[in-house]
Amino acid sequence: MALETATPPATDPAPAPARRRRTRVSGKGRAWDAIFAGLARGSTVLTLLILAALVAVLFESAVPSIRENGAKFLVSSEWRPNEREVQKRDAAGHLVMEDGEVATETLPAEFGALPVIWGTAASSLLALLFAVPIGFGAALFLVRICKPRLGGPLSFLIEFLAAVPSIAYGMWGLMVLAPLLQDHIEPFLRSVLDVPGLHWLFHETIQVGGESITRVLPLSGRDMLCGGLVLGIMILPIVTAISRDVLRAVPREQIEGSLALGATWWQSSWAMLRYSRAGLLGAVLLGLARAAGETMAVTMVIGNNNQIKASIFAPAQTMSSLLANEFAEATTELHRAALIEIALVLLLMSLAFNISARMLVTGGATKSGGRR
Amino acid sequence: MATVIPLSGAQAASSRLPHAASTTLPPRVEEERGPARGRVFEAISRSEAFPSEIHESLLAEPAVVEVRDFRLWYARKQALFDISMRIPRGKLTALVGPSGCGKSTLLRSVNRLNDLVDGVSIEGDMLLNGDSIYGRSVDVIDLRKRIGMVFQKPNPFPMSIFENVVYALRIDGVRDTRVLEEVCERSLRGAGLWDEVKDRLRESALQLSGGQQQRLCIARAIAAEPEVLLLDEPCSALDPIATGRIEDLIEELKGDYSILMVTHNMQQASRTSDFTAFLYLGRLVEYGPTNDIFLKPRLRETEDYVTGRFG
Repeated sequence: MALETATPPATDPAPAPARRRRTRVSGKGRAWDAIFAGLARGSTVLTLLILAALVAVLFESAVPSIRENGAKFLVSSEWRPNEREVQKRDAAGHLVMEDGEVATETLPAEFGALPVIWGTAASSLLALLFAVPIGFGAALFLVRICKPRLGGPLSFLIEFLAAVPSIAYGMWGLMVLAPLLQDHIEPFLRSVLDVPGLHWLFHETIQVGGESITRVLPLSGRDMLCGGLVLGIMILPIVTAISRDVLRAVPREQIEGSLALGATWWQSSWAMLRYSRAGLLGAVLLGLARAAGETMAVTMVIGNNNQIKASIFAPAQTMSSLLANEFAEATTELHRAALIEIALVLLLMSLAFNISARMLVTGGATKSGGRR
Repeated sequence: MATVIPLSGAQAASSRLPHAASTTLPPRVEEERGPARGRVFEAISRSEAFPSEIHESLLAEPAVVEVRDFRLWYARKQALFDISMRIPRGKLTALVGPSGCGKSTLLRSVNRLNDLVDGVSIEGDMLLNGDSIYGRSVDVIDLRKRIGMVFQKPNPFPMSIFENVVYALRIDGVRDTRVLEEVCERSLRGAGLWDEVKDRLRESALQLSGGQQQRLCIARAIAAEPEVLLLDEPCSALDPIATGRIEDLIEELKGDYSILMVTHNMQQASRTSDFTAFLYLGRLVEYGPTNDIFLKPRLRETEDYVTGRFG
């Protein structure tokens, strides 16, 4: 149309009336339409191809590690990228002497991802422990208490937290939160909680010269707790924003129905949470996915130690922080492949969390109540 | 929360009708006859106050709810004007009137659900069995526990049938299983649903049909033995068969409960109710025994409305 009218009639020697009345786009316009439609379609396909390529390349690069380590990769807790020479000990733990010298043996490289899988799982769950109650509470406040005039800016600020670069959280965690934990909060917790039954929280057993020694866990501030807290703050915006939308979709009759029966504010809020539990679970899963994949901030505060410790006051390592720490220095092919296999596991995990979360949120928002 | 804003009814109305002159309210005299037949709407359009036409037979009835000079505004827009009426105990009173006349607003004012709406302010008061509803010291939660309500759309909670029925007791902290089961059976029998659901009390209430869900909501509303039952167009979302069953049920409940029902359906009002109040543009126009309202109304406007000449 625009092309047609843009043509000045004067330059057209014999304007055919039928042609002028035509409402369909001219051949040239339709050609552009086809091109744009093709571009749009192509963009979508390209995005999907990138995802597919990502999985394929990761898988292909991980093949040496998968072949070498097999299922042991997921259950072994030993992560030793390079072979290491250690002093040889006999069954009783004594050093073995050979030719008047301490005998040594070489341990081969070994790749067990269990510590980092544990680290990711534990730090993410810790993050949820902080973020979910606060996020649900904030969502209830935004939906039920605060006036729309205040709710808009508040929602914006909370969502803005999601736009803060990850490294900024990491620096804050490293320079503010970790010292605070180390100097004040953790010593206080130890003085209060170090009671029979909870000693495992503050003590660790280590091997020194073949003997087990139990000692007080050094409080570093850069540990599982710090990582979990920083992750919790980082996933708070997404948990809040999604649970706010989910709670806002609760039908008015549901809220009024419980209030009319004499429910208190808290009881009717509980009814709302109950009503939208599928969507809220989706919010939690999306938070979990974000926490599991988060790299930079957690690398800075979690202590980076490949170990499985029950205590949240011990340093740990997550899958992503291990990648950040070691990938640049991986020299052997097997080491690289093992790291890539970790990335693959992480990717598939995030994908699974995200897909199930999306299904719960959209299903919960549109036909919540339709089932169960 | 409801706050009183310094606006008289007449002023608020005149702000809505820019051409109308602001008039002062004449003193209300109960015995005074209403405006001549056919003059009520004229009075409203001039935003003049007029006494509601209340039939004398109502005065003999003991009141469960008494509305006293009740006025309500949504922000600056006045929705209810000087409503004074007594809802008889143990009877079914129907509120009728065209859309937007304030029926539902009046109904929702009884259990103070309008408190939740932003910008609502009220003047006047209501009494529930002699106790103030809008007084300063009233605990709204306790008040609502004394009142049952059924909404337009069935709104069962996403829990089992059993938990739905005993919800009012649960939030009151009742734990005794024997008590809960007793109340559940009594309420479901009262709502005529017991035989249909007694074998699946633990199943989700959302599996029930629309009509069953609405009867479940009635069972839920009567579980705590309310002093008055508010029905807000309880059949408007139901098919004719389900509607018929609910109407039969309301008929049965009528002796045991004091019921205030909003309805759009004239047949429903004339079939089931003992008393009928006709509201128009936020005013109570005429209020009397249902037979009189439908067969020999005193005001022409009432007659026009109940015979379907407008509305």
